[in-house]
Amino acid sequence: MINRIIRQIQRYKGWFGGGAALCIFLGLYIGLLASPPDYYQGELVRIMYVHVPLAHTSTLAYSVLFFGSIWYLWKRDPLVDNMCQASASICALFTSLALITGSIWAKPTWNTWWTWDPRLVSFTVLLLILGGYIMLRRLVDDPVQGGRYAAILAIVGGIDLPIIKFSVEWWRTLHQPMSFSTRGVSISEDILVPLTLMSIGCWLLFAYMVMVRTQILYLTDLLHAKKGRFLSQTHFSQTTP
Amino acid sequence: MPFFKTIRWVVWKDLISEWRTRETMSSMLFFALIVILVFSFSFSMDQDAARQLIAGIIWVAFTFTGIIGLGKSFTSELQNDCLESLQMCPAPKGAIYLGKVAANFLFMLSVEILLFPLFVLFFNLDVIEAVGTLLIIFFLATLGLSSVGTLFSALTVQIRAREVMLPVLLLPLAVPVMIAAVEATRGALSGDPFSFYSQWIQLLIIFDIIFTVVSFWLFEFILDS
Amino acid sequence: MIAIQVSNLSKAYGFYRIFEDLSFDIHPGECFALFGPNGAGKTTLLRILATLQAPSHGQFTIFGQDGVAQKDTVREIIMLIAHGSHLYDELSAAENLQFALGLRGQAPSPPQIKRALDRTGIGAFADLKIRQFSAGMKKRLDFAKTILAQPQLLLLDEPYNALDHDGVAITNQLIQETLDRDGTVFMTTHDRDKATQIATRGGILKGGHLQLLSSEQLTTDAIF
Repeated sequence: MINRIIRQIQRYKGWFGGGAALCIFLGLYIGLLASPPDYYQGELVRIMYVHVPLAHTSTLAYSVLFFGSIWYLWKRDPLVDNMCQASASICALFTSLALITGSIWAKPTWNTWWTWDPRLVSFTVLLLILGGYIMLRRLVDDPVQGGRYAAILAIVGGIDLPIIKFSVEWWRTLHQPMSFSTRGVSISEDILVPLTLMSIGCWLLFAYMVMVRTQILYLTDLLHAKKGRFLSQTHFSQTTP
Repeated sequence: MPFFKTIRWVVWKDLISEWRTRETMSSMLFFALIVILVFSFSFSMDQDAARQLIAGIIWVAFTFTGIIGLGKSFTSELQNDCLESLQMCPAPKGAIYLGKVAANFLFMLSVEILLFPLFVLFFNLDVIEAVGTLLIIFFLATLGLSSVGTLFSALTVQIRAREVMLPVLLLPLAVPVMIAAVEATRGALSGDPFSFYSQWIQLLIIFDIIFTVVSFWLFEFILDS
Repeated sequence: MIAIQVSNLSKAYGFYRIFEDLSFDIHPGECFALFGPNGAGKTTLLRILATLQAPSHGQFTIFGQDGVAQKDTVREIIMLIAHGSHLYDELSAAENLQFALGLRGQAPSPPQIKRALDRTGIGAFADLKIRQFSAGMKKRLDFAKTILAQPQLLLLDEPYNALDHDGVAITNQLIQETLDRDGTVFMTTHDRDKATQIATRGGILKGGHLQLLSSEQLTTDAIF
């Protein structure tokens, strides 16, 4: 008896996947090949077409995790728990990619792989929180209890992340008066089109990946439940001569 | 009211148990002493460098020491299945949370107050005017660490690898407290006027309020399934 | 009012179903003994009734209060005596009793505490730390707790484990007192001989299902 939502995922996920592929392909083509280089940054600005959408999507993914966790603690729907688990790992993926592409952009621009930029630090802390989330789920034996604990972590993390961002921003204005900003790119019309395409593409890609992963998790749980045996029956049949 | 009585009982029980063994506090003090020594060996510092780094060293020492105390707060309930008796308490679980936060806060603050003179000694700090402000900073930052720390101590006590998971989960979330505490301490120790670093004190107050309330609500879901 | 009313209770732990569709009623004044092989889920069922775990499906009420939605109200009227003694090593016997009853919202006076300790034979050790108590003494302290708390429903998890003859006698005496004041007792046990001395009804949990026994059947060997 497969959940109604899973059936709908099965039916519509292809559209999301296709849409994602289309937007990303177009966005990359225009961004990497067809559009002119930036006046100040030259070819380097092209990394922004990848980095900025990844960062946005990572924030979107965490929002999904945050609200999903609140919903799960309220309604205890196992499908919502599967979705949270899926969102967390995919958010970790997007966050890592955002950090890597940000670092690749930073090296030629500021001649450093790493800087105490508030967004970079916030994303790193986000990655640490997600790492903790994934470890937590692995270390709890009872999946229901694990889902509950993970939801608590996600909620506390979600409330904390804006505060972390503020505190790092304040700290940075104190210690680095010559502030660099990742907002150094001025938005001109040429940049807007591929950027928007890539953003939409990444959102669609995220939606597609979460749908597929949620479906896999849900069906795996269902399969295990159907295969389940009574503990005592197995044990009992082993002890009687 | 049973709610406040429960808080009182939990605090009483933790304080009396600790008073009779002094186990937690002595391990915290000993650990902190080692941390201070290691730091003073690792950084060969002149006066200027010391003043830059000391605030950070203090809070690294306090935080890691605090994590020891936070961990023991709930692992001590594992003996004889005492966690079950807390679960079966008819009062709202938030009362147990507040009681534990109060006890942890008192332990951590006591260790900090005992340790601070050692910092003054080892690193030649000039603190006479700043004592009042420093106490306020210690109070607020310790409350912030206790509020989130107690929540995660209860959360990690029933999972595998609990000693590792408590710092892994807590430290990223405690980043605002760390930053604010270090900046405020540095400001107070450098003799800066209060307005220079009052924003950090405000941040600590906001953090404390938000996370005590949030953890109070969420604690219910840890003990109860 | 029915003491325990269970309808279609099921519990699954991860992928394994432990028991399914259990339904039974227990009335005040009854002593119900739950038997079954190791791993059958007796302790799990007991812990669900004690509101320590939630069922996967189904519901149960204790004296009319829903065991999941009204957990805190239920916890006021039940008491669980399980494997762990729920005692703090650094506190004395009297202090442990004060704490345990304080958590339940009760405040027994020192003479009441002394009386309860005397009745269970450990009155002389009221101020001794639990660290120095033997296992048998800890059991007696559990019973002193029950005497002071006077719960309407007493849940016992394998109460006869590792008890000497005196311990068994005290256990059954305590159960009898609970029944005499119209309380209810629900216990899980392996020990048919000792349990059937005091139990009024019983059941066997096996293969995920519960087979109820009447008081005559309890003493018949063939069932077991």
